[in-house]
Amino acid sequence: MARSPISQFSPARWLERRLPVIVVSPLFALSLFFVYGFIAWTAYISFTPSGVMPVYDFQGLAQYERLWATPRWYVAIKNLFIFSSLFIAISMAIGILLAILLDQRVRAEGLIRTVYLYPMALSFIVTGTVWKWMLNPGLGLQRLMREAGFENFTFDWLVNSHYAIYTLVIAAVWQSSGYAMALFLAGLRSVDDEILKAAAVDGSSPWKTYTSIVLPILRPVFLSTVIILAHLAIKSFDLVVALTGGGPGYATDMPATFMYAFAFQRSELGVAAASATMMLMTIIAIIVPYLYSELRKTA
Amino acid sequence: MARKVSTRRKAIMTAIAWVIAFLIFFPILWTIILSFKSEGDAIKSPLQVLTSHWSFESYFVVQERSDYFRHFWNSVVISLGSTLIALVIAIPAAWAMAFVPGKRTKDVLMWMLSTKMMPAVGVLVPIYLMFRDWGLLDTRIGLVAVLCLMNLPIVIWMLYTYFKEIPNDILEAARMDGATLSSEILYVLTPMAVPGIASTLLLNVILAWNEAFWTLNLTAAKAAPLTAFIAAYSSPEGLFYAKLSAASTLAIAPILILGWFSQKQLVRGLTFGAVK
Repeated sequence: MARSPISQFSPARWLERRLPVIVVSPLFALSLFFVYGFIAWTAYISFTPSGVMPVYDFQGLAQYERLWATPRWYVAIKNLFIFSSLFIAISMAIGILLAILLDQRVRAEGLIRTVYLYPMALSFIVTGTVWKWMLNPGLGLQRLMREAGFENFTFDWLVNSHYAIYTLVIAAVWQSSGYAMALFLAGLRSVDDEILKAAAVDGSSPWKTYTSIVLPILRPVFLSTVIILAHLAIKSFDLVVALTGGGPGYATDMPATFMYAFAFQRSELGVAAASATMMLMTIIAIIVPYLYSELRKTA
Repeated sequence: MARKVSTRRKAIMTAIAWVIAFLIFFPILWTIILSFKSEGDAIKSPLQVLTSHWSFESYFVVQERSDYFRHFWNSVVISLGSTLIALVIAIPAAWAMAFVPGKRTKDVLMWMLSTKMMPAVGVLVPIYLMFRDWGLLDTRIGLVAVLCLMNLPIVIWMLYTYFKEIPNDILEAARMDGATLSSEILYVLTPMAVPGIASTLLLNVILAWNEAFWTLNLTAAKAAPLTAFIAAYSSPEGLFYAKLSAASTLAIAPILILGWFSQKQLVRGLTFGAVK
């Protein structure tokens, strides 16, 4: 269409050439308005004295000062940091081990892969509910171990405010490591067989081949997996709500649940908006450069 | 090395892979098992649970108390409705971008996709206020609109990557044979695009079905889908595990079945097309 030479003007041809712009523009405008427009609104609210209801008088950085003077916000940030670093590291470690395992030409690979991926297809709400049972000291793992004879076995992380954050890591890792596996497996499959054969001929051990040849080739896969898992971690809201409800107390609060609590339960819209703006800036700093470079490369 | 393995090693690896598969599937399996137990049996020790009486009682109670079918129907309407509308809007756009790419196509895609990365809490308050003023809170229409908008970038992106794979030569051949734009779209492109559209549909129905952030925050009772249904069962502490399991099983059953057929699409969609 675009490349065919146009010798004379015809309405049909003109329409054909303009069609892409005509169909794409409204969508583009719509999605940008509803996300970035509203984000801009939220960002503006963070500079106003809004409480229960939004007000529009500009007052500077007062809400940010209040935000950074709130102990609960530090808990939320610390939790996000602990949660995302552990979640990303463990999911990736398990993901790559599972991918290498499945790459050994196991039987019924398709079936196994589907089972590994199943948790990812479930809602975080279901994941949270299921793990709530598994981790409940009176019902799940702790009880099982005690009845199996280990009377002193204790696993009460879910109700312990120091360790509750790690239960979120467990549930999230369960949900996402199969997904990391799928990403790595696709990467492993794209490694040229010839390279592996050459390494074997040169007497390289399997371990050495993986660490010094295969993993370096997979570097782009590592990067995209980190980015995708990181954005899942920063957005995590439903899992926290379903598994711990942010508790005990606010021990497992994350920025997203913090924002929610301040906007809807504590009527501190300005502080909530300030926290949302902080989150957004973090995400933009991570995601935009990545997306940009990815699209330059692939699309 | 990795690709050529001895039979014995292959058997060991297969065994390990199955053990891990069982461990991963166990929480789901256990939920399904508990759903067939009475409340009294469900909190017994795990070994006793297996040998106790099986029944459908929890399912009847769940249906009677909180009307599973209404929530199920809400989930169906919301996930299918939002996905179908998104598809109708997205197909022409993805089409145009894949076959008549302009200088700005990549930037447009990048910007649209970036909206999907933004945390939803950042736009929750304005959307909530707007919904309240327009009387859209706790309505299916409101949820369909929000989920449609939120998933639109992924729908467009997925369709775009599928359409990109349709070879351009075929179009040129059709044009050489004198096909008009409309017949070209109807007879040449559409048949080739159907698998991609079907995959996109499947993935987005699953995503919308699982969507919990918007459904929890924008619904109360009338329009609440299955995610809200489970959340309602999960909040009160107490002896609810059999019923909670029945509710969860009912909510995940459609996904387990759909997921079986769409695992490839799932990965592809969730990785924004990075893995095919």
